[in-house]
Amino acid sequence: MAVREKDPVSGTELTGHEWDGIKEMDSPVPWASRWALWISIAVSVLYWILYPSFPLVSEYARGVLGYSSRAEVTAAVTAADAGRKQAFAPFASEDIEALAADTSLEARYGASIAKLYADNCAACHTENLKGQPGFPSLADGHWLWSGTPEEIEYTIRYGINTLHDETRIAQMLAFGADGMIEKPQVKEVTEFVLSLSGQDHDAVAAEAGRVVFEENCASCHGDDGRGGYENGAPDLGDGHWIYGGSREDIYQSVYYGRQGVMPAWEGRLSDAQIRMLTLYLLWNAEDAPS
Amino acid sequence: MQRSVNFENAGLLAALSLVLLGGLAILGWGVPLGYVLHGWLIALAAGWGILWMLNRISDGPAEVPLEYNDKVIRYGVIAALIWGIIGFAVGDILAWQLAIPSLNGDMSWSNFGRLRPVHTSGVIFGFGGNALIATSFYVVQRTSRARLASETLPWLVFWGYNLFLVVAASGYPLGITQSKEYAEPEWYADLLLLVIWIGYLILYLRTLARRAEPHIYVANWYYLAFIVVIAMLHTVNNLSVPASIAYPKSYSLFSGTQDAMTQWWYGHNAVGFLLTAGFLGMLYYFLPKAVNRPVYSYRMSIVGFWGITFLYLWAGSHHLHYTALPDWVQYLGMTMSIILLVPSWASVFNGILTINGAWDKVRTDPAVRFMMVAVLFYGLSTFEGSFMAIRPVNSLSHYTDWTVGHVHAGALGWVAFITFGAMYKMVPWVWKREGVYSLKLEAWHFWLALSGTLIYVGAMWNSGITQSLMWQTYDADGAFLYSFLDSVIEMHPYYVARAVGGLLYLIGACIGAYNIYMTVSGPRKTETRQTGPLAQPAE
Repeated sequence: MAVREKDPVSGTELTGHEWDGIKEMDSPVPWASRWALWISIAVSVLYWILYPSFPLVSEYARGVLGYSSRAEVTAAVTAADAGRKQAFAPFASEDIEALAADTSLEARYGASIAKLYADNCAACHTENLKGQPGFPSLADGHWLWSGTPEEIEYTIRYGINTLHDETRIAQMLAFGADGMIEKPQVKEVTEFVLSLSGQDHDAVAAEAGRVVFEENCASCHGDDGRGGYENGAPDLGDGHWIYGGSREDIYQSVYYGRQGVMPAWEGRLSDAQIRMLTLYLLWNAEDAPS
Repeated sequence: MQRSVNFENAGLLAALSLVLLGGLAILGWGVPLGYVLHGWLIALAAGWGILWMLNRISDGPAEVPLEYNDKVIRYGVIAALIWGIIGFAVGDILAWQLAIPSLNGDMSWSNFGRLRPVHTSGVIFGFGGNALIATSFYVVQRTSRARLASETLPWLVFWGYNLFLVVAASGYPLGITQSKEYAEPEWYADLLLLVIWIGYLILYLRTLARRAEPHIYVANWYYLAFIVVIAMLHTVNNLSVPASIAYPKSYSLFSGTQDAMTQWWYGHNAVGFLLTAGFLGMLYYFLPKAVNRPVYSYRMSIVGFWGITFLYLWAGSHHLHYTALPDWVQYLGMTMSIILLVPSWASVFNGILTINGAWDKVRTDPAVRFMMVAVLFYGLSTFEGSFMAIRPVNSLSHYTDWTVGHVHAGALGWVAFITFGAMYKMVPWVWKREGVYSLKLEAWHFWLALSGTLIYVGAMWNSGITQSLMWQTYDADGAFLYSFLDSVIEMHPYYVARAVGGLLYLIGACIGAYNIYMTVSGPRKTETRQTGPLAQPAE
């Protein structure tokens, strides 16, 4: 074999090829690389022996450890559930009234339930419970379906306007858009609603609006507009608004209607968790000025 | 010879006619505005190409100059820079949106979900893809001592590829997407790219076939692996049934776990063969050229090439650890990912050791510095990738910003650094300039890009590990200690840092683009003769 050209800097032999001035040295693969290759292959073979690895004809190689991520996660979830059941034992009781009366629970579980609330409810009702346009405040002591523990639990469990069989149903009809009343009447009834909460309004129009209100709105909101827990119609005189209380907002609500949705949490949250959130709302609503 | 040229023209005309028909069908039957505009764009481009060819069909055999075809490379460089700046800018806008969500302007087209693919496609396919096409044309000609095997095909590849990019990137803000990560374009854009990619493959193979060198240089193996595997990945992952010619919507042929596995087989190997193999091809030519040293080890080139080519294709399942994917697929992908580290680092050593004997150039030549740091980041991100592929590590890193940091260590630190290094070398060569306009600006670009990358990656490591630990921390009762919201609030400072890092990177790239613009508009080199003999075109 002919003597090959050497790299003048390192003294390593070159392969003898050249491309556009680029040559290659014939350096051996460093020992570290070779060792690393064999070690990584050995580690992999070990894994293949111990764990599920290769497909077979109608099965797969299960590995000598008999590992299964499904079994692992099932065991972990079962153990965690058992632990939580024990830690949150008081909430196994279905007597929500008694739970609400137990003053020791807030100090013991309040911080933990706050995280449950933040993960599941805060996206709409906000972390401080004060709500945002379209989503009612939970801290102002004003309730659509009453603030008793049973009713709050019911709302969380079955939701409002959901697909659950037990859902609460409440709908503000689109009186204007669906042609039930004319545009001038929508304006008049808007003035009347403004008057209910003591806001600036056109007294003449409001007087005309009172008639419109009695004929169209009172069946849900009551003659005095104070709402009712039977059908979830909000109190129009308390100054608390879900969709805003300005003239434009009210007009919008009357003309196009409102169809808010509260999800049903049954199935998604455990019964105990639903009771925890019920209590959480009671604890915080009690703190709020009504 | 005459016959072969006519055969080529007939083939190109047939391909263009098919594209034209597709474009006409879309603009004729299409309903959504963006889709119809895409039809017009495709039909106009294909129609223009057909007329261009018909005008020349009776010209007789064209005078093919006996020199390298560098014009298309110059176009490729410019396109890469334009897409790069667009992609980096959109990326940084998204980074600011994540820090301050209201910056999405509350408009559908400008929200995160629609802008993100503009960023990813812009940088991966626009910047990276154009850089690979341009440098592959440069490298294959030089190392084969042959002119590109066709006069028309390189232009079809260049313009067609960029047409695909425009169709893809303009569709995303309008909501045209098949919702597959890194494979968002809908079926008609995919078909367009398929036609172009077959043209690219044929052109590359034919150029190699007419080489005047006895052996094929290693850079070409990598470029070829990139072209072949991307063709395969693109075709399989995009198999889908269009719902109708009237709408861009299509349904994937795969569903459920199979769809996820196909998607990540695609996604991981797009990283492996576009962002790795292609850019290793770039490294194997431009680094030895820039430092004027022989490649350290021919043997390591072989180990690296075949190791990467064999192993990457098994490793995609590590993106689906702890999912519905069967355990054996997860473990197999994990172990192949571990072995993959060895050939990856063989390339790292081969690159770094090639600089031996010329380390002074790292100090004096910012382009070499770019390439040296690129190799280091390649080493860092391949180690990190193999590490994150180990299941227990993955249970910490998966679904967190650590993944984002990892991919940007590779994309910013490796892919873009090697590209900038190669560009600073290649631009003066293809435009026949003495050198780059300003070494000082080049150094500024380097330091801005490096600090931007380090800030970005550091912020995402912190953010990712923090959020993962917050998500997995339980109190004594077994309830979450932190809400998801807590972890989001905790991310804020890291997100601001990331956006600042990205901004530095963008500023660096703008300085680089300016430097290259000034280089191109500067005076030509006095001596413009090609170095080395060029082969006669094939008979």
